[in-house]
Amino acid sequence: MSSETTSSEAMSSETCEIEACESKFCQLKAKERIGTINPIFTCQPAGAQFVSIGIKDCIGIVHGGQGCVMFVRLLISQHLKESFELASSSVHEDGAVFGATGRVEQGIDVLLERYPHVRVIPIITTCSTEIIGDDCDGVVNKLEEELLPVKYGDRDVHLLVIKTPSFVGSMVSGYDIAVRDFVKKFARKTEPNGKLNLITGWVNPGDVKELKHLLAEMDIDATVLFEIEDFDSPVMPDGSAVSHGNTTIEDLQDTANALGTIALNRYEGGKAAQFLQKKFKLPTIIGPTPIGIRNTDTFLRNLKEMTGKPIPPSLVKERGIAIDALADLTHMFLADKKVAIYGNPDLVIGLAEFCLDLEMKPVLLLLGDDNSSYGDDPRIKAIQDGVDYPMEIVTNADFWELERRIKDGEIELDLILGHSKGRFVSIDYSIPMVRVGFPTYDRAGMYRHPVVGYGGATWLAEQMANALFTDMEYKKNKEWLLNVW
Amino acid sequence: MTRKVAIYGKGGIGKSTTTQNTAAALAHFHGKNIFIHGCDPKADSTRLILGGQMQETVMDSLRIYGAEKVTVEKVVRTGFKGIRCVESGGPEPGVGCAGRGVITAIDLMEENEAYTDDLDFIFFDVLGDVVCGGFAMPIRDGKAQEVYIVASGEMMAIYAANNICKGLVKYAKQSGVRLGGIICNSRNVDGEREFLEEFTAAIGTQMIHFVPRDNIVQKAEFNKKTVTEFDDSVNQAHEYKKLAQNIIDNQMFVIPKPLTMDELEKMVVKYGLCD
Repeated sequence: MSSETTSSEAMSSETCEIEACESKFCQLKAKERIGTINPIFTCQPAGAQFVSIGIKDCIGIVHGGQGCVMFVRLLISQHLKESFELASSSVHEDGAVFGATGRVEQGIDVLLERYPHVRVIPIITTCSTEIIGDDCDGVVNKLEEELLPVKYGDRDVHLLVIKTPSFVGSMVSGYDIAVRDFVKKFARKTEPNGKLNLITGWVNPGDVKELKHLLAEMDIDATVLFEIEDFDSPVMPDGSAVSHGNTTIEDLQDTANALGTIALNRYEGGKAAQFLQKKFKLPTIIGPTPIGIRNTDTFLRNLKEMTGKPIPPSLVKERGIAIDALADLTHMFLADKKVAIYGNPDLVIGLAEFCLDLEMKPVLLLLGDDNSSYGDDPRIKAIQDGVDYPMEIVTNADFWELERRIKDGEIELDLILGHSKGRFVSIDYSIPMVRVGFPTYDRAGMYRHPVVGYGGATWLAEQMANALFTDMEYKKNKEWLLNVW
Repeated sequence: MTRKVAIYGKGGIGKSTTTQNTAAALAHFHGKNIFIHGCDPKADSTRLILGGQMQETVMDSLRIYGAEKVTVEKVVRTGFKGIRCVESGGPEPGVGCAGRGVITAIDLMEENEAYTDDLDFIFFDVLGDVVCGGFAMPIRDGKAQEVYIVASGEMMAIYAANNICKGLVKYAKQSGVRLGGIICNSRNVDGEREFLEEFTAAIGTQMIHFVPRDNIVQKAEFNKKTVTEFDDSVNQAHEYKKLAQNIIDNQMFVIPKPLTMDELEKMVVKYGLCD
């Protein structure tokens, strides 16, 4: 224990030195307290499971205790208000002692027998099975030699291992690793397909729809990883309702033949983009998360650069509509509003950049994991260099970092941006909150609305404004202003 | 084509000494390009090559800087004849999970592409027995393809070797790993060579070399050197040269057939070691 304390002290003092020379106003620092009170993130297998449901005819089997699936599946289900399949190897005490690879072998057999359409089964590892050192790669080799050809010879079944020990990284790195591993498993060079690889990162069905709209306007054919639009699924006249991801194995194979890759999120899909760049020499652009006007502009320019397609007048008009909507709100209502933002790093950074553009003052950014490379992120550096008021960026953060600062009067907030797990802070301290990120289950239809693109920028700004308006009314705080707006 | 080799054997049998002396001989006499990955939490698998104990292990680096900041430059040191060394490191005795340390360290090295294509041999020097999943990491898919077990004519060393073979059988199927032979690190016990020859034949492998006992090994160790570096003209240096040659030329890679306890006991009795 003592050595742990020492090393974390060493780390934080190292971070302090960096920040001292870089920014007068904005500190980037790791949470100093040992332990977590109300975590912002869940663990790596959750990210891998979210990726796996984006693939058609794919059922992930999570190798670990049942809770590793049960709670994650519930969380994703709460968020999307849909149901989907995820399996568990259901490791018990005997498996922990004697090794539990046998349960994976059996589990895969059962899955294949029960679901005749299944083509891909990722084995997603967890803390327990990583610690005991279960050799899942070995299981894949064994099944590929025995079970698959012998019992399922007439089927095209693919197995892969996604190593996501829960004590490493967070759900964000789990997502990143899983995208890379799927791409690595399937990408195969054949003929150039003239398409673009668009790796969206951990987004909502609504975001995918918006991104595909931008691609369509620019007349760009793209492989979108992952096609999760259908998780906003219809109930058809015959009563059927199916929600599943629509990225196919063939799509994944074809990523090697693209004219280039754009990964929107550095921490969610960046690894896959780097893999494609290195292995298949594909031109690659990582970032920016297209939240807000500025980042969407950059995204469109990147699309243009990579495909040679011009930005059409229709998008110029869309941009104009968004700017007009924002102009109505910015100076009058949003300016100088103090905001705390928490959640996935790319989302938080994108939102912070957007808020700054809207003359708002993000005063606290909370990133829920301890990725030591956050300090190297040029976007974080730019925010640090740009701000002229006190701002804190806390890594490895929990909700207590937010709550304590409010409780002790260290910060006064006008608005909170983040996912539903932080709703109690908003409720307890009567601070308006806009739900954004994953998971958002305490407001209707949040998965449907994009935060990316010009449409997303408009929606976000209007959500923020409306949240502030409601708050003005409830608190009788200049609510009359709205009579004359 | 890099040959990836894992060295196993009973604790205290001389795995690290043998690995380093063999590696030094491979580099010095045969001009091979070598990498040693020490997988013992004590981090003492490379001190003879480096002329002293490795200062910062992979696990130290992970603890201090975080996984994203672990680089090859931070943890790989180059010693005698350009042999590159890394130590996994791990917890103090009695705490934590050393097996996990082995898994994490090898994963990190692969991620950082430390095992470069220009290497002729990578040695994984593994602690004692294959006690749990973690210590089997070096023989998993895509890692070490051949295993050598260091043993002597002592009963417990043979028991351990037999046990390691049981672990190997399990992985042979799923990862393709094979046993390349048993290295006898002689303890000068009676009938040692004959016992080992019978044992190796019984489990379907070979004694790849009989390394005689020689105090020069200890003397070199006191000087933090391998025998080859200490004095490459002595007989023991040539024994390691021979062992290195045998490993280079080795064609016999098998899935061992470990003995039952009964068979093993009978063999022990035959060689009179139970007297």
